[in-house]
Amino acid sequence: MPQSAYQRALGFCGTLLVLLILGFLVLPAAVVAIAAFNDKAILSFPPQAWSWRWFAKAIAYEDFRAGFRNGLIVTAWSSAIALLVGASFAFVIDRYRFPFKRTLEAILLSPLVIPHFTVGLGFLILAAQIGLSRGFAVVVVCHVVLVLPFVLRSVYVSLRNLDQSYELAAASLGAPPGRVLLTVTLPLLLPGLVSGWLFAAILSFNEFTASLFVTSQRTQTLPVAMYNYVREFADPSMAALSVMYIVATAALIVFANAFLGLGKVLNIEQGH
Amino acid sequence: MNQQPFLRTFTAPAVLCAIAFLAAMAAVLQFSLRAYVPGSLEPGGFTLANFADLLKPLYSRVFLDTVWICALTAVSTLLVGYPLAYAMVRTKSAILKSILLVIVVTPLFLGEVVRTYSWIIVLGNNGFINSVLRDLGIIQQPIQFMFTTFGVVVALVHVTMPVMVVMLAAALSHIDPDYERAAESLGAGPVRTFLTVTLPLSMPGVVAGVTTAFAWTFSAFATPQLIGGGRVNMISNLVYQLGFASFNFPFAASLCVAGLALTFVVLSALRLAARPLEKIGPH
Amino acid sequence: MAEQNKTDDIAVRFDAVTKTFGEVVALHEVSLGVKRGEFMTLLGPSGCGKTTLLKLTAGFFGPDGGNVAIDGKRVNDVPTYKREIGIMFQNYALFPHMTVAGNVAYGLKVRGQPKPEIARRVDEALELVKLTGFGDRKPRQLSGGQQQRVALARALVIKPTVLLLDEPFSALDKNLRASMQVELREIQRQLGLTTIFVTHDQGEALCLSDRLAVMSEGRIRQLGTPTEVYRTPCDRFVASFVGDANVLRCRLESVGGSDAVVALGNARVKVASGPLQGVAVSAPVDLFVRPEQLVVGQAAETCATRGTIAAQVYQGGHVDLYVECADSARERLLVRSAGHEAIARWPIGAQVGVSIAGGEGVAFRID
Repeated sequence: MPQSAYQRALGFCGTLLVLLILGFLVLPAAVVAIAAFNDKAILSFPPQAWSWRWFAKAIAYEDFRAGFRNGLIVTAWSSAIALLVGASFAFVIDRYRFPFKRTLEAILLSPLVIPHFTVGLGFLILAAQIGLSRGFAVVVVCHVVLVLPFVLRSVYVSLRNLDQSYELAAASLGAPPGRVLLTVTLPLLLPGLVSGWLFAAILSFNEFTASLFVTSQRTQTLPVAMYNYVREFADPSMAALSVMYIVATAALIVFANAFLGLGKVLNIEQGH
Repeated sequence: MNQQPFLRTFTAPAVLCAIAFLAAMAAVLQFSLRAYVPGSLEPGGFTLANFADLLKPLYSRVFLDTVWICALTAVSTLLVGYPLAYAMVRTKSAILKSILLVIVVTPLFLGEVVRTYSWIIVLGNNGFINSVLRDLGIIQQPIQFMFTTFGVVVALVHVTMPVMVVMLAAALSHIDPDYERAAESLGAGPVRTFLTVTLPLSMPGVVAGVTTAFAWTFSAFATPQLIGGGRVNMISNLVYQLGFASFNFPFAASLCVAGLALTFVVLSALRLAARPLEKIGPH
Repeated sequence: MAEQNKTDDIAVRFDAVTKTFGEVVALHEVSLGVKRGEFMTLLGPSGCGKTTLLKLTAGFFGPDGGNVAIDGKRVNDVPTYKREIGIMFQNYALFPHMTVAGNVAYGLKVRGQPKPEIARRVDEALELVKLTGFGDRKPRQLSGGQQQRVALARALVIKPTVLLLDEPFSALDKNLRASMQVELREIQRQLGLTTIFVTHDQGEALCLSDRLAVMSEGRIRQLGTPTEVYRTPCDRFVASFVGDANVLRCRLESVGGSDAVVALGNARVKVASGPLQGVAVSAPVDLFVRPEQLVVGQAAETCATRGTIAAQVYQGGHVDLYVECADSARERLLVRSAGHEAIARWPIGAQVGVSIAGGEGVAFRID
């Protein structure tokens, strides 16, 4: 479509604005990357010399390693449990009717609007009251509760988009409900299940506020370890760790977008 | 079929989770009504003293600050996020859309600590901004960003951007471009089209985005904790301090309960205020 | 051959079946017996209840009143997977994550058939629908017509008691539809398979069925062979829905037992007297006449009525003439004229006389 000079100018300003905003978004990551490669210990710009030493130090730092291990344990358990609970309950919400169904759903979705510090404090107090030590169990349960809403929504959306005639066809061919579920429903739901699980895993691994409340020295996850580090030390090890974090997460997102179509999951219409 | 196979098996785990969660919330509620026994982790008898203490200016100040920071963040995020969401939805190139989506969504998955830490490096006295300005000779003394409300809000806007942009993009993408083309065919210029057609039609998304941004910011902890450094406090920071510095869990619990009530009140007020706005949008 | 028990003849029986959805009564005490090996079509406009009746047979839900029986056994509470039915869905519902062979084999696997047996029967089924060699393809690689054959093969391979088809041809283009219809009928005859077919296309119903049930608003209006339904519709709805109908306002001239005579101009038409119960002689009635029963000619005394040509539509093998006529109880008369001479002979605006050929028709009271 031919454009007037006015429209072109407007378009130019618009592009400039968007670039500025993108710059704002990307600035911290870029700055952290520069800081991570700085040879000196003090954060200064621009760096005089470049080096990998902070990366080496970050990887070798025991608290970070322990945090990473703990994080993996907690994430593996909580994302798996959340997937099981979320997928089965999403199935129930979609297919069945029973009293208090909506109430139960509302309860399980409420962590979306309840601050993590409240949830964290709650589990901390609860654990103390029932005499449970601050081990992995509390952390896992807390994380499950926090990531469950995301799994629920992701699986529910997939279920809604599933054409029911496939399951009816399977039943007409003689398959009892269990068989239909295993051979038809689950395979067709796989993308939704995987993206729900991925979402839950990433959120759990990076969860900080509630974890700060419920983890102990022994069980602290990586974000908590990083927090403790920043409060005490000012060297760029954290920057190096952050860079590794950003690269890994970006790779995961690109992968998720390519295979699962991030736009669809976030309800953004393609093609407009 | 009228049977409901699997109903019990599939609902039981969800019920267990709900019970665990409700027990945790009940624990908070219960503690908020118990007295604080200094030097001990065990709470005392039942009392409303905690809530009475909340009315003290020291604490009510924090409530007001929190609401102020949340409102500021929500509005700023809207202003900064809208153009980006618009660009993302209206680009013709699929690759560009993907790139934008990745750039916007990735921070969401980085976790609060990494993001806040990066802002420390940007905002600090020896950080990026100050170093660049000093090297360029524009300033002699570093500008104080850390430990200020401004610094906290800037970082919070950055943290809240992904959520806002995603919600706005979802709403914008569902607006048929034919509406804009119709307006243009009737003689409206691009600015007018935007103000009279696109913006009103995107109102539901705007309301949803602002409400979500507000609720999210309310829950922020690492950002005000690290950048605020104790001088800028939101409710979350106060809860942490009371819990882990003084072990005054009952009072911390009452703060949580009051915080929840506050969120509920503010969000309901937002919903009511937004209703006339929502009517402008498509149903 | 031993004489078959009367009940053995009926493969599917509906006994005063009622089904309600909220406020809407989808089926109102519908009774129907589908004979073994019969091709039964449920025909009607959308909302008439035909799909509900089909779904009741399939077992997707149970009736609110009455009984459904398959092979003499009451199946009200029997779930879908325990009924021996085969269904072909409107959108085929081929499992996208399985190959063609996998789809067709599904029902056999569920029944625990041994592998070599499954392979053999799958090959047989694919041969029956003329898709030999397509076993390894995925559904998305097939055309619409091919997907439909796979769906048919999948339903047939399990040797169901009754085959259910839910408007299976509505997504196909005209030529493909015609050839699929013929193929389906051939296969059905070959296998002697009891079939219940749902459609809103009366042409399809007339050409495929052994018997058809015309439904509207949750009830069966008429049950009979295509010829019966077409030539002797039992009420106005059936007369209008099945085939094109012209409605002429005539006069009831005489009644004699099961027959009556109606008069229009110089024409005398014999009709069944049943639908005209209680109508006085000389009172006006509506005569339903098919387009091919009307003939356009010079306006003469021997005609039934007169009119003006309002429009001509060339249909290839015949011409449809639309005639403005004062005696028409509805819009214009539709006269079908074979060949193409009518275009030149009866131009628009020409004054013509309309006669009724054959002397037989169907008349109903005026409501």
